[in-house]
Amino acid sequence: MNTTASPAWAAGVCAGLHAAGSRHVVYVPDNPLSHVLRTLRDAYPDVRTTIATREEEAFGIAAGLYMGGVRPTVMLQSSGLGNSINAIASLLVPYRIPALVIVSLRGDAGEWNAAQVPMGEAVRPICAAVGLPARTVETADAAEAIVAAAGLGAFDARQARACLLPRRVTVPDSAGRAAPAAQGHRA
Amino acid sequence: MTRLDATRILVALAGDEPIIASLGHPAYDLFAAGDRAANFYTWGSMGLASSIGLGLAMAQPDRRVFVVDGDGALLMNLGSLATIGWERPANLVLIVWDNESYATTGGQDTATKHGTDLAAASRAMGIAGAVTARTPAEFESAVARAGREPGPWAIVAKVAESAPTTKPPLDYVGIKQRFMAAIGCAEAAASGEPA
Repeated sequence: MNTTASPAWAAGVCAGLHAAGSRHVVYVPDNPLSHVLRTLRDAYPDVRTTIATREEEAFGIAAGLYMGGVRPTVMLQSSGLGNSINAIASLLVPYRIPALVIVSLRGDAGEWNAAQVPMGEAVRPICAAVGLPARTVETADAAEAIVAAAGLGAFDARQARACLLPRRVTVPDSAGRAAPAAQGHRA
Repeated sequence: MTRLDATRILVALAGDEPIIASLGHPAYDLFAAGDRAANFYTWGSMGLASSIGLGLAMAQPDRRVFVVDGDGALLMNLGSLATIGWERPANLVLIVWDNESYATTGGQDTATKHGTDLAAASRAMGIAGAVTARTPAEFESAVARAGREPGPWAIVAKVAESAPTTKPPLDYVGIKQRFMAAIGCAEAAASGEPA
């Protein structure tokens, strides 16, 4: 099989979710997350994947998987967290339905598109507001441990938990480039 | 055919199999037609009943999974039809109560009163077994067939509003745990860790 070596952060995410016992990933794709998906395909044949048309749909599918005995991971870009707020707040939280949530951040350092900045800056306040504990993967090497701990914690405590993947980790070439202001653009 | 009449037909045919109910009147009528442990009543997340059913159907391929959705709720999550049409779980039966209105919120028209055909939409999204039922006999026949032949199925039932007068309990975790136990996926009792 012709495979591209996966970046350390992506290999860590896969190892972490697998270590947490998750065997089904429901997702809406995102450019950095394509590394995770390729690694799952190549190295984790026991992990099934399903593409949702929209992120809140992915949370609904995850809820059904969990109640059927499968530990779900939901993987999405931070923009899709905005599409998912009511699903998290009115389904996962009150029913205590756990999921491991992997969020690829836009709008943080390294962002080139100012339209992504407002939602990116809203990610942590939204997580706090709906009761979704979120931890940031600060370095590629930390990904496996943080993802595994979040997943195990989620399924032990029956509470969805999120891991946030900053662009400085997922797109290291962009490191050092500040996020644009939310308005205005200089080419 | 009122929605409550049709819900009673479904409950009689569903045996012990799980039924996922969309919030509001579909859930209220399911509770009234027959509260049972294998009922999962949503109290929010409008539009996601079919998605919950899809996830459950994939996790439990040996069970027949029924969903009772509303026309307005499904219109909110039409992408779910595409995902079901892609995954094609043979054991999923999506029932859409189509009363052509947002009945839970006061009876405003939905698009199905103005030309939208959710059975045709289901077929267009890859759910070949999509039918419309207009009478109790048609509905009973469609559910019975969907219960024994491979799906996925979408049954759009044209129903009259039934003005529910009872609601399921608001114990969300209790609803979930009773449901999971009923389908053989009981959440493990909280247990200690070795010190």
